[in-house]
Amino acid sequence: MALAIEEFLHTERLPHIWCAGCGIGIVTGAFLRVLVELGLKREETVVVGGVGCSSRAAGYVDVGTMHTIHGRALAFATGIKLARPEFTVLVITGDGDGAAIGGNHLIHACRRNIDLTCILMNNQVYGMTGGQVSPTMELGDRATTAPYGQIEPAFDLCKLVEAAGATFVARGTVAEVRTLQGLIKEGVQHPGFAFIEAVVPCPMEYGKRNAPAGVCGMLDEELARSLPVAEAAGLAPEELEGKIVTGVLRRETGRPEFLRSYAAIVDRAQAEAREQVGREEAG
Amino acid sequence: MELWHTHLLREKVDQSSLLVQGNRACALGALDAGVRFFAGYPITPSSEIMEAMAYELPRVGGVFVQMEDEIASICACIGASLSGRLGMTATSGPGFSLMQEAIGYAIMVEAPLVIVDVMREGPSTGRVSVPSQGDVMQARWGTHGDHPAIVLAASTVADMYRLTMAAVRFSQRFRTPVILLADEMVGHIRESFSPELVGRYRLTSGDFDFTPGYVHPELVREVHPPHVLGSETHPHVTGCTHDETGFPTKDSGESERFLHGLYDKVTNHRDELCLYDVKNEGKGRVCIVAYGSCARSARAAWRLADQEGLPVEVLHLYTLFPLPVEIIQTVARRVEFMLVPELNLGQYAREVRKLAEPWTTVISMGKVGGNLITPREILNEVTRLIGKYESV
Repeated sequence: MALAIEEFLHTERLPHIWCAGCGIGIVTGAFLRVLVELGLKREETVVVGGVGCSSRAAGYVDVGTMHTIHGRALAFATGIKLARPEFTVLVITGDGDGAAIGGNHLIHACRRNIDLTCILMNNQVYGMTGGQVSPTMELGDRATTAPYGQIEPAFDLCKLVEAAGATFVARGTVAEVRTLQGLIKEGVQHPGFAFIEAVVPCPMEYGKRNAPAGVCGMLDEELARSLPVAEAAGLAPEELEGKIVTGVLRRETGRPEFLRSYAAIVDRAQAEAREQVGREEAG
Repeated sequence: MELWHTHLLREKVDQSSLLVQGNRACALGALDAGVRFFAGYPITPSSEIMEAMAYELPRVGGVFVQMEDEIASICACIGASLSGRLGMTATSGPGFSLMQEAIGYAIMVEAPLVIVDVMREGPSTGRVSVPSQGDVMQARWGTHGDHPAIVLAASTVADMYRLTMAAVRFSQRFRTPVILLADEMVGHIRESFSPELVGRYRLTSGDFDFTPGYVHPELVREVHPPHVLGSETHPHVTGCTHDETGFPTKDSGESERFLHGLYDKVTNHRDELCLYDVKNEGKGRVCIVAYGSCARSARAAWRLADQEGLPVEVLHLYTLFPLPVEIIQTVARRVEFMLVPELNLGQYAREVRKLAEPWTTVISMGKVGGNLITPREILNEVTRLIGKYESV
């Protein structure tokens, strides 16, 4: 029997490109189940990816999909959403694509509060190019371009996007994929810019240079470090050191959404134009 | 007169004369052609195009957005184009440099798109408010890899209007980005102008078809089936070399066919794409080949030469790429010299030389530093060339 998600999956494109033990396929599965659950229409749904392992997920989803250029997925998605506000537009990106080369577009999409959903898979490494250091890699971690250990502090992406104005911010892990799925679903339903960070193990390019090695060890550690947001609420900053706080970190509906504000501008400008024409005709 | 004219033509001097700025005429051409999506980022000397669009587009139900940089601007335009709303952006050298990667993407995914580059002196920040034609070869070869290019060049306010419309039409027909080059002088000059008085190459709204996924019946065999996001076909669009399904291909033969196809759909249609004027046709010993602001000086130099009895013709190019091979070679066969004045160090003269040298001598007259080339400077060069010839 065909799985429900196959409706939204390019099964003819399988097997996928991801390495054994990679978490991206698990997030993609959760994402596909959300499309099924929400009953989204294929012809009104667009998924945009940038460049990198995570972004490749767009190519397996059988809706309108775009594989774009490195770092710019959110800019393309902004154009699509503005041209066709009735579409559900989702962006799939990674930590390199979304937070390094695409960091500027990320903060401005948050500030604009445009109704897009951005799923950023954070595996803390450039996987596709062979294990270089990423802006979310933690101090001391090793990469091909940090052979003596990373000396730059990591971005906390959820804090970054919250400060930039994202109105829905959530974090989930591959180890708790059902929870992650729920967060993605809430993000898609949120009327404004929604950001979901999915913590994803990369046993191949991250795991082989850093402890714990192997996907089972990495998932165990992910679970051990995870802390639901409700439990984290009462803890001091030093107690939160090294923890992965999961769940909905911010939800705000008061901030104006860009497309609605723009529609109001169009109404006003058109009314003014009509008045002006009326005056000129009368005069 | 349509709604937006009243605003853009507000710079009235008196009832009979309308002074319009080049950049505003560009916005007006875009609106008259039916462009309803603009994304941009401020940069001198092009910002007036964006400002006009910011005011006018909401009035006609269109979309305007100021993005966080030029990369985001062009990417948003491509996203809109692939969703069925042709996107347009305008910039100058530094911004044009930032856009190059995305221009290649637009070529690869066959997205119609109009990019206006109002050139200033470069490289780098250069000088922001002086005219230059330093981006000519960047417009042709700025993005990596082998690719076709359609590049137009405006000389006057009327050109800014009609060539913007031509750019929209070409990008729509050939499903590829079209670059319109202006320079600071053309962008900022104010001239007497009215859309009704634009002569040759003027298009009207009937020349455009904004149906998503539109391909003109004449071109269905050359332009690949367009991918419209959100249509029943729910396509995959990628900048990877792809086959007809839209998905990446690893087949060398398929890649070769695809890349040749992108080229051929442009170069097979030079007749349609190459716009130009010839003045004093067939009567010159020297032909001045010029485009942009230099073409204005070239035309004036011809009039001065005429008074002095010097045999000069002018080839005024509105299309720089694809190369207007036929007209350049036709003229080359009948003149002794081709003189190419331009506000760079001979970028287009090299292109003319490649085409014309079997038949004639091509003289580059390049100038940088921010001053225009005057008619008198051109005339002096013409006199020198003809004098040199007489003395041999």
